[in-house]
Amino acid sequence: MANPNRFYRFLLKLYPARFREEFAAPLERQFSDEYREAHGTGQRAIFWLRTLADWAVSVPAEMARELRQDVRYAVRVYRRRTLVTTLALSALALAIGATTGVFSVLNAVLFRGLPFRDPARLVEVQGGAVDEDNGRAVFYGWRKGNAYLEDAAAYAAAAGNTEMNLSLDAAGSRRVSVAETSANFFSMLGTEVRFGRAFAPDEDLEAKDAVAVISYGLWQECFGSDPRVLGSTLRLNRAPVTVIGVAPPAFDYPQRTAVWTPTIFHQKRLPKFIAFPGNVIGRVRQELTPTQAGRMYEAEMRRLHPESLKGPDLYRARLIPLRDSQAGPVRQASLVLLGAVVLVLLIACANVAQLLLSRLAERRQELMVRTALGASRARLVQQLTTECWLLTLAATAAGLGVANWAARLVSLAQPATLSMQQYTILDWRVLAFAAGTALLTGLLFGVLPASLIGRMLPAADVVHSQPGVHGTGAGRMRAVLVATQAALAVILVAGSVSMGRSFLKLLGIDLGYRTDHVVTLNVSLIGTSHEGQAAWRQYDRDALERLRAIPGVESAGATSLLPLIVGLSESARFTLGDSHVIASVREAGPDFFRSIGSALVAGREFTAADQQISEQLVIVNEDFARALGGGADLVGRKIWGYRGKDFTVVGIVRTVRQAGPGHGTGPDVYRDIDQQPRPWATFTAKVRGDAERYLAPCRDAVQAVDPQVPVYDVKTLDQRLSETLARPRLYTSAVLFLGVFALLLAVVGTYGVASYSITQRTHEIGVRIAVGASPSGLRGMLLRQSMLPVACGALAGVAGAGALGRYLQHLIAHADATGAWTCAIAAAALAATAALAVWTATGRIVRMDPTAALRAE
Amino acid sequence: MQALLPLSLAVFHMLLALSDGERHGYALKREILRRTNGKLNLGSGALYGSISRMLDQGLIEESDERPDLHLDDERRRYYRITALGRRVAQAEAVRLQHLVRLAENSLGIPELA
Repeated sequence: MANPNRFYRFLLKLYPARFREEFAAPLERQFSDEYREAHGTGQRAIFWLRTLADWAVSVPAEMARELRQDVRYAVRVYRRRTLVTTLALSALALAIGATTGVFSVLNAVLFRGLPFRDPARLVEVQGGAVDEDNGRAVFYGWRKGNAYLEDAAAYAAAAGNTEMNLSLDAAGSRRVSVAETSANFFSMLGTEVRFGRAFAPDEDLEAKDAVAVISYGLWQECFGSDPRVLGSTLRLNRAPVTVIGVAPPAFDYPQRTAVWTPTIFHQKRLPKFIAFPGNVIGRVRQELTPTQAGRMYEAEMRRLHPESLKGPDLYRARLIPLRDSQAGPVRQASLVLLGAVVLVLLIACANVAQLLLSRLAERRQELMVRTALGASRARLVQQLTTECWLLTLAATAAGLGVANWAARLVSLAQPATLSMQQYTILDWRVLAFAAGTALLTGLLFGVLPASLIGRMLPAADVVHSQPGVHGTGAGRMRAVLVATQAALAVILVAGSVSMGRSFLKLLGIDLGYRTDHVVTLNVSLIGTSHEGQAAWRQYDRDALERLRAIPGVESAGATSLLPLIVGLSESARFTLGDSHVIASVREAGPDFFRSIGSALVAGREFTAADQQISEQLVIVNEDFARALGGGADLVGRKIWGYRGKDFTVVGIVRTVRQAGPGHGTGPDVYRDIDQQPRPWATFTAKVRGDAERYLAPCRDAVQAVDPQVPVYDVKTLDQRLSETLARPRLYTSAVLFLGVFALLLAVVGTYGVASYSITQRTHEIGVRIAVGASPSGLRGMLLRQSMLPVACGALAGVAGAGALGRYLQHLIAHADATGAWTCAIAAAALAATAALAVWTATGRIVRMDPTAALRAE
Repeated sequence: MQALLPLSLAVFHMLLALSDGERHGYALKREILRRTNGKLNLGSGALYGSISRMLDQGLIEESDERPDLHLDDERRRYYRITALGRRVAQAEAVRLQHLVRLAENSLGIPELA
């Protein structure tokens, strides 16, 4: 050992402050004595071993002891100032919680692995690679012969299109999502089935493809987890398939699929309204990165189908990492939200730093006494650090509760694409993030100021410090903190004002129909025993008759595509004389408009008798009538269009916002569903009283028409509207919450600084009053001084608010730009509340007795 | 005072050793080593940990006097037993005495060889 004493001195550094202070010197002395007495290598080795063992045991013991003392002291300190402690604690808890909650969403969609083998190499192949007409041979040929993909599989699953009626011989029927895939779908993804087997390589041949793998959830719900499910027969839109395997739990790729069939190249196997082209997913070759493979794919496409490289990103030929395509819109929105909550976290941290600083000022007396009693700077810093960690720890524990709530809120508004991506905080990454956030929070805004203060208040300085000296480091730091808070508060308040306003506007938009007291139910007759127009018409009539028979149902109607449902609609060109218009075409039955409270502007609704009329009848909306240059006089006239037919307009209805309040309107044409029955329908029933109580009776009534036809998506129209609004509502409430929270924090911060400043300047204020200054004049002076950093910060905030406004506009359709007025309102709100806070804080000057103030110092 | 009992072996020995007069830490350690025939060898961290606790509890106090003048080093700290320390050590001794009597009555104690 080159210099044993130096090494031992280093070991001593790891003891906690108080112990080190008291005993480092005698310990060092004793060490050198004992070291001298140990002779020879053997004795010295034993001496070192003993010393290290003793050190290893006594360091943690002393740490624990001093920690206990410091924590007890800290709890006493916090208890004396309940209000400020509660404020700081809740501020930190909310901030840490919101940050962690948003992170848990990002974690679920971005960082948690997809349930596939080596998911980083999986890509979605977009555009041009294989089209549906090419068939199996072409697909496998392309798959084998390309230089960038090791393997590729195809699947077809479009929301709303590949849902099918699943009939079980015993257990009735239900609506399920089906994915039609190539035979290598599971093997390409590297997913092992839970039991049974996945598709054999040739099972996507037409003769062999009547097989299916079912999801774990479906197996549990419909087969009671019975392993004898293998070999049993399911009917998908009445086409029989044999169950050969059960997918692993939580596996539902793509798009919450419940049944997979190897029928992508033979889509006639399962009856459906329209066959959609499949999607291709591939596994990038081992030696390539996804970016390199993407470039090779684009080069190949440039050679084969140059036109496929043009057009918008949505269609252009390219490779998209599967993780990105699964994360979807949640990703960007969550990143923006994360930005916002990090801002608030910063405010909260600034506030805790502020709390620490102003409390230290009040505790100067105590700190002075302790310094006089010989407590070192290190000792004080250790105490302050413990206080800060304690606060952070409590805040993190509470914050995890907040995070859990936030994650649940987000999953209502933006459910994950796959159930694997369920947002949860019970994930090691989320918990590590929370711990990291807490650590950083505590470190940056608790420990750092504490150690700064330790440096600013060396023992002599504390005792002899001149009260009321300005321009110190601590004073500047406080001003910067207040300015930062003011800036952030203005940004967030401006953001929440503009978002709140646009959300209110969204709520106030007239949809053209009423969503209250309406029950809606979906059915699909594709692949059922009801075949042909006559059967569809009869089914619709039976269903409506049963609905109307329910006591409390005032009217009931049917439509092929209800507003607020995302589905397929056709567009067609209609002509009247010289003018023409492109309109979307859907079907509606008698009483439909009455049942959703949509007013007739002119003419009449369809009636049951219309079916007997040979001419084709339509109802059009106001937009349509306006586009053809007509008003009420359009009723009774013939228009031409849609598959080259003539239609007679019998009525004009109000224009309906089909896609919901955030979206526009256009010309609509409603054909008579009785004249043109469709193999699917949404029934609407206007009820008296609470619509939710009618959900079950209505479902039972329609289900009774044919137990083999599942009735699905049974919801009130209000529920559908609220689902449409879930996302803007989440963003708005989040930003509103952040804005109010930031304002509150800024006010608390300003109050803290003002009251600190008075405490610190008691002596000066006492002198001023003694020489005749008026208390209100002094308050004015303090107000001016306190408001200066607020004003600076508010100015910076106005600049930032514009930037945030542009982000928000990006986030929600119809969000307003953050205009000058909004900024002015935010800045004024901040200034007013901050001034009020300062004025309240300075109220004590009026009651101040100058002699007492002078004596106090 | 009862709350401080039973004392740990090290603390009891330290109080006993200090009852002869004040000592600094290292002397205390050596004295205990001698008294226990080398069986109780306190590491310096443990020693000063106990000293720190005993100071807090008021069993010992720091002394300003420096008896070993020729050996003195200002880094050394000298400690002496307080009146409370003395009473606590006595109480511990009484407690042990009771224990020994109890053992004697139930088992008998063989003569030491």
